[in-house]
Amino acid sequence: MFFIPGIVITVLTFPGVIVHEAGHLFFCRLFGLQVYGVCFFQFKNPAGYVIHENSDNFTAQFFVSMGPFISNTLLCVLFCTAAFLPAWELKIADPLAYFFYWLGISIGMHAFPSTTDLKHLWQRAPALAKKGNLLAIVSLPLAGLLVVLNYARVVWADLGYGILVGVLGPIAIFKALVR
Amino acid sequence: MGQAAVFTRNIDGSLCALCGKENPSGSDFPFRKKLPFCEKCAPLVERWPYPLWLKLSLAGLALLLAASLLHGRTYFHAGSEMYRGEKLVKQAKYAEAVPHLKEAVRIAPGSDKAVLLLAKAALKIGDMKTAAMALQGHEEGHFENGQDQDVQEMKALWERATGAAKKANEAGKLALAGGKDVEAAKLFREAAAEYPESKEMTAAMPYFDEGAAFEQKNYDRFLSLAQEVFAKKPNATNAATIASAWACKYAVSGEVKFKDEAEQFLLKGQGMAQSDAEEKKQMEDYAPRIRYRIDSRQIITTQEYNKRFRSSEKEKK
Repeated sequence: MFFIPGIVITVLTFPGVIVHEAGHLFFCRLFGLQVYGVCFFQFKNPAGYVIHENSDNFTAQFFVSMGPFISNTLLCVLFCTAAFLPAWELKIADPLAYFFYWLGISIGMHAFPSTTDLKHLWQRAPALAKKGNLLAIVSLPLAGLLVVLNYARVVWADLGYGILVGVLGPIAIFKALVR
Repeated sequence: MGQAAVFTRNIDGSLCALCGKENPSGSDFPFRKKLPFCEKCAPLVERWPYPLWLKLSLAGLALLLAASLLHGRTYFHAGSEMYRGEKLVKQAKYAEAVPHLKEAVRIAPGSDKAVLLLAKAALKIGDMKTAAMALQGHEEGHFENGQDQDVQEMKALWERATGAAKKANEAGKLALAGGKDVEAAKLFREAAAEYPESKEMTAAMPYFDEGAAFEQKNYDRFLSLAQEVFAKKPNATNAATIASAWACKYAVSGEVKFKDEAEQFLLKGQGMAQSDAEEKKQMEDYAPRIRYRIDSRQIITTQEYNKRFRSSEKEKK
């Protein structure tokens, strides 16, 4: 394994950080949560943050925590879809395609919610899941998996996720379209 | 034993919870949910605005994405043709897959996947020309991952097809050399068996068998093969081959009815050749030999005929 300082990776993939924080802010606004501070990007750890009130509403908490995971994943698929064919399958050297691939994977690799976000979900989900809350039931394995993946960032799990989504997403879309 | 301590958060309502500004009047700021905010911070906390640069960046990206999708129409077309072709190849519908894959390769000749699929589909239907064109247009047939299973499969298919084509070519040379038609037919049969996907080879097989039957003086078989070929492909040359076979039978038996059949098919062939310049030319070469066979009742090879009658003609010219 080779070591690249995290800040270098973050700078190289800064659009992902911005989109991630914008996702948090979007869902805070959507669910009417108070926001006390926002940083879309900075050259230190954490690279970005949204400070917001804690909500008693689990749905709001779920979407504010997991929102960036959903939005970053979707945007990764979207941008990579625009670039996938020329860059990956057709091997056509198109600069715009490479730009979109970088953008898509940058966004995709910053999809994972922070451990703090996941901790809040993890604390409340079991009790709600027992009561049959569907979102809580879904969030339990998802949050568990994401905690593991968060720790696996040291072995580039975030980059791996970005590439996986950026390749498998467009393949799934094109295969579904061509019937 | 004392009482359990109870902690309560002490909030000074006269201080803004966000900017820390003190209310000049000394009274509390209005509480929003659980915290006091000054009139400047309250709307910010309730609905934190998206910065202008973020909105502009997102709008720019959306525009760029739209432009890219528009710009990528050709790629989407090539991609959809490739996936369609891939699906058909998986269903073993190779002939249907070829036009889709040709279109994909036309746009993206550097795509390993499209080229491999096209080469495979073309070879599976015996279309070596298309396969060769696709492979040569793709870095002279080099692939990024030469050890890939698909590359290996295509390579094996290509080697089988080219090996068969080489044998077929050798067989053709033997047949033209004269006196080696049996050997030529055997070699050609081997070639066709090696590459049964080739419809051209399968279609050419009876011609080699006709030559072999003629050489073996098996004129009944020669006639039956010629009739089979004519039934499948009724043209001037094939009609003349039937005439040739009847002429052989007449030459060895002297039976007039065979002569009549030969005459009839010779006329038929000559009639059919009138509409096609290429066939007309072939008939000009073929008809005098058949005529000679009928008139002389002598069966000689093309080479012998040419030696006897045509070398002098060439000399005269």
